[in-house]
Amino acid sequence: MSDAFVSLQNLSLAYGKTVVVPDLNLDIRKGELIALLGPSGCGKTTTMRAIAGLMSLHGGSISIDGIDMSRTPANKRGIGLVFQSYALFPHLNAFENVAFGLRLKKLPKSEIASGVEAGLNTVGLSHLADRKPAEMSGGQQQRLSLARSLVMQPKVLLLDEPLSNLDARLRLEMRTELQRVQRDTGITMVFVTHDQSEALALADRIVLMKDGLIEQLGTPDDLYNRPETAFAADFFGFENIFNVSGSIITGPQGSAPINFKAVDGHLAWRPGAIKIGNGSHQGTVRGVAFAGEQREYVIDCQLGQIKASVSADEPAHEIGTSIAFDLPKAGALSILVT
Amino acid sequence: MTSTWTSRIIIGLTLTFLIGPFFIIIAAGLSAGDFLAFPPEGLTLKWYIKVFEVESFRDSFALSMFLAVFGTIAALMLGVPAAYALSRYKIPYGETIKTVVAAPIIVPGIIVGLALLRYLVVPLSFTITLALFLAHTALVLPYAVRVVSSSLNNLRSDMEEAAVLLGCSRIGAFFRVVLPNIQSGVLAAFILGFVTSFNQVPVSLFLSGPGVRTLPIDMLSYMEITYDPSVAALSALLAFMSVVIVFVAEKFLGFSRYV
Ligand SMILES: Nc1ncnc2c1ncn2[C@@H]1O[C@H](COP(=O)(O)OP(=O)(O)O)[C@@H](O)[C@H]1O
Ligand SMILES: [Mg+2]
Repeated sequence: MSDAFVSLQNLSLAYGKTVVVPDLNLDIRKGELIALLGPSGCGKTTTMRAIAGLMSLHGGSISIDGIDMSRTPANKRGIGLVFQSYALFPHLNAFENVAFGLRLKKLPKSEIASGVEAGLNTVGLSHLADRKPAEMSGGQQQRLSLARSLVMQPKVLLLDEPLSNLDARLRLEMRTELQRVQRDTGITMVFVTHDQSEALALADRIVLMKDGLIEQLGTPDDLYNRPETAFAADFFGFENIFNVSGSIITGPQGSAPINFKAVDGHLAWRPGAIKIGNGSHQGTVRGVAFAGEQREYVIDCQLGQIKASVSADEPAHEIGTSIAFDLPKAGALSILVT
Repeated sequence: MTSTWTSRIIIGLTLTFLIGPFFIIIAAGLSAGDFLAFPPEGLTLKWYIKVFEVESFRDSFALSMFLAVFGTIAALMLGVPAAYALSRYKIPYGETIKTVVAAPIIVPGIIVGLALLRYLVVPLSFTITLALFLAHTALVLPYAVRVVSSSLNNLRSDMEEAAVLLGCSRIGAFFRVVLPNIQSGVLAAFILGFVTSFNQVPVSLFLSGPGVRTLPIDMLSYMEITYDPSVAALSALLAFMSVVIVFVAEKFLGFSRYV
């Protein structure tokens, strides 16, 4: 409670009678870069719109810096939102897009001009001040949208899938850019993403959401190495998940013994943790894909399908050949069922 | 081969029926004889000049202009907010409202005119001019709502939310970001409304009184007395005005997108 800057308490959100976020509790610290991560449709955008004040609460409360904002109108909250679609003003050029909010504050002309210049400079768009959004690339529009929010010096900046409309190279570039802007400005940021690698790379803490509920909250290290639920494990790359009871694991097709003792619940392996070539399990290669440094196998076995990935230096196994593999104790993630 | 010829003939016929009358009117207005005639009997420009000398034409032209301009402006002042509300908010019975707003397009104008005369002008002793103004506003309103709606539907609503988050009120966002982006739709609605109102006959038929007539009605009554080619000349001038307006609108606005 003590260091919460943004605090969501028992937040519930609904469209008409359909509740999409039943009960959300979340404390965000000042200056933190937090990621809302989850599959499409889990309520990330809805939560963000509620924080911004664009949607009324079905229940619970939102407070910022200790002040209850649940009923404060969106234009009085001092929160910035970078829309997934950028939502730039098509009739205004880059300069005027960024100046929009400053003009509403009725700042003196010189202050507006210097503010806008600094804003455009931060995102590297000074040379395009006269361009209309339609004359800019996706990445430039994205940065313009960011600048437009940043110059308002919001208490919290929300970003809805800020990188998802960009191509792969630009996405990496913007990632670093976002991180730099956050370091430079120290603004508390919440960004939405459905891409775990983006969340891992950028966030101080990750909120993993599922069906409007928090599945797990923690540092990237926590979520990547110590997912606490089968859903979280699957989301962070433990693609081989089985039920375990005693020394027997059970997959969708059937059961098999393992050669170590595990706590009852789930056992999960990343594809890279599975050894192939020898071991106590037997299967048939169903698919093989070359992925540069790795070769990725799909193997049919009595448990169901297994995904394994091994160094491409190892000799390849043809589709249809039978193969031995091992589910080693090292690299096995144990998940307790609560 | 055959099908190209068939389509050429069809296009030719269509154009003849659409544009042919226009040329007949221009020619008839140039006729030197004292009566409306086609083909023209000799050529003269005197009827085109006479049009500007007939006093009742000048008065009724002024009235028609007034109705077309201010009736359309009034229709837009009602229609733009209505279209905005219909497109952005879930309004109870929104669909019904749309149908009702479109009613003047469906109901024959002559009935609207009669109804206004019977229930407004006579019992409430409205002046004819006021009744005409109301009638033309109502007549143009459906076009205003429709044309503006279609340009609003092309405008993403998250822009308005962005404006609100930057400090605008909802109404402020409408004026600062919605209106500038539907400008050409509003202008297109104005032009369509203007032309519709200006050329309107049936609604205005019942709404005329001593010295108060719209131009088309005035032309009708002029023809009952005088059958000279000046009416053809005037028609040609009016048709030319409409064509120029629509042509300019198409060139600068891409007018046909909206209608
Ligand atoms: N305007 C809306 N009306 C009704 N349901 C909606 C609306 N927007 C989103 N939803 C529903 O709410 C749920 C959460 O949506 P959203 O917050 O957009 O998810 P996310 O951003 O995580 O993909 C989804 O099931 C979606 O279908
Ligand atoms: Mg979303």
